[in-house]
Amino acid sequence: MNAKQIVETYGTFLAGVALFLFLLGFAPNFASAANLLNVLKQVSFLSILAFGFTFALIASELDLSFANVCSLSAVVIGFLISTEVDWPLAVAAGVTTGIVAGLLNGFLVTVLKVPSLISTLGTASIANGLAFMITGGVAFVGRWDADFLFLGRGKVGVVPVIILFTLAILAAALILSTQTRTGVHIQATGENEEAARRSGINTRGCKVLGLTLSGLAAGLTAVFLVANLSSAAPQMAGDFMLNGIAATLLGMTMFTPAKPNILGSFVGALIIVMLSNGLVLLGAQYYIQDIMLGIIIIASVAVSASVLKRAAFAL
Amino acid sequence: MAPRISATGIHKNYGAVEALRGVSLDVRPGEIHAVCGDNGAGKSTLIKILAGVEQPDRGEIAIDGRAVRFDSPTAALKAGLATIHQDLAVAPDMAIYQNIFMGAELTRSVLGLRLLDKARMRKESLGYMAQLNDSITDMNAKVNALSGGQRQAVAICRALRWNASVVILDEPTAALGVRETEQVLQLVRSLKKAGKTVILISHAMQDVAALADRVTILRTGRNQVTLEGDLSADALAHYILSGDTRH
Repeated sequence: MNAKQIVETYGTFLAGVALFLFLLGFAPNFASAANLLNVLKQVSFLSILAFGFTFALIASELDLSFANVCSLSAVVIGFLISTEVDWPLAVAAGVTTGIVAGLLNGFLVTVLKVPSLISTLGTASIANGLAFMITGGVAFVGRWDADFLFLGRGKVGVVPVIILFTLAILAAALILSTQTRTGVHIQATGENEEAARRSGINTRGCKVLGLTLSGLAAGLTAVFLVANLSSAAPQMAGDFMLNGIAATLLGMTMFTPAKPNILGSFVGALIIVMLSNGLVLLGAQYYIQDIMLGIIIIASVAVSASVLKRAAFAL
Repeated sequence: MAPRISATGIHKNYGAVEALRGVSLDVRPGEIHAVCGDNGAGKSTLIKILAGVEQPDRGEIAIDGRAVRFDSPTAALKAGLATIHQDLAVAPDMAIYQNIFMGAELTRSVLGLRLLDKARMRKESLGYMAQLNDSITDMNAKVNALSGGQRQAVAICRALRWNASVVILDEPTAALGVRETEQVLQLVRSLKKAGKTVILISHAMQDVAALADRVTILRTGRNQVTLEGDLSADALAHYILSGDTRH
């Protein structure tokens, strides 16, 4: 590996390490245990959502509905718990909501042939409307079962369980995407659908699976969000939309350049949350975060596109 | 010698267009059999039928004397017929070994999970590649990084991995430079040496002259003539232009 390849493969990661060291040194309270735990918690929510978006993107589909689907799942959980349904059942219903939304996106894309950019926008709007319908516009709050809240607030020793869950999901997503036949079939479908189909790969199934994993991730994130905040409201995951996309696109600038990848999305989520947190601690105005996010999204694609272009010119 | 593959009286219409009007083809085991003809002669339709992409309206296909029917490309593959289409159907941004094993990845059991056996796939890919082109050794390289001729080698390796006994090559040298074309001709000879039967569809008469043991020329959906023996590019062009049916 020459220096150029090292920069292409690990540059963003190293920039993330530099950012971490900078914030440790210069951002007041960044290094406090409470703040670092808070950062990791935010990374948990964001990275699980980003993993889902990443799987859809590996299959070459965009899921723009994951944040609204996450809010809808959260509202379903909140509604059921507040009507005294047992919490495991409510959790199952919330996760199922995400899966059903993902299956719906898969159906729209593979059977009705509506491009995912459009169909998932439609799903997003439907999910948003349903969430407001269920809540009647207000939030579900209340004294909820301690066992349920443990999912979002509990600790094993000093480590929040939510971080353990996230690491387990990260490991599962990594294995699925890089070490299994299903993972490479999703990748082959995204890279060259026609070639994959002629090789006997069920490309429709792979697209449905990619979008359904995104729905599943939205449902799981909803569980942790609701349990962490002990409330559920429409739009509660709205901010994760651009952040999740930015984490995934930033992830495409590392490890396997120009390709969506799970590890990259995880590090991307870490960098974005650290940056947001650090900017607040350094006294930046709230709107700076939005500007920063926009720049990350555009720059990431510009950088990974240049890798693509070079690959094309190498023919 | 019984033909490895024979197509008899193949008819195929697309609406009012009669693409094939009773074409027959006998391909002997281990030969390189070229199918030539001008545009519209029916070469592509015949290949699509042999590859299982299209089904004939009438006519029969037999492999080693046994009648077969291909409802899908997979059915043709299972019968030992691998078709390498002009677009090669490779994923340029994936590794060579991933392309060779696409859809048929090898796995091993790790703690009860079926995980990819990348080391074995790389090793077996290298084995297939060594039969064709020993200059390509890094199976992790992306297909992007390869020349047109080398990509053809990757597509042919996939056919070898399918264990096909008949390899159909559709215009393998179209859009290739002189040196690349020579590489591909070498690949086809390696296939023959490995005991494969090759059906070659080509417009390039000098390639056909250099490779083919026999040539079947089609004209407007019918057999014009099947030629055997020393063939020159000029002679082939004469047949295609004149419609001459004498051997």
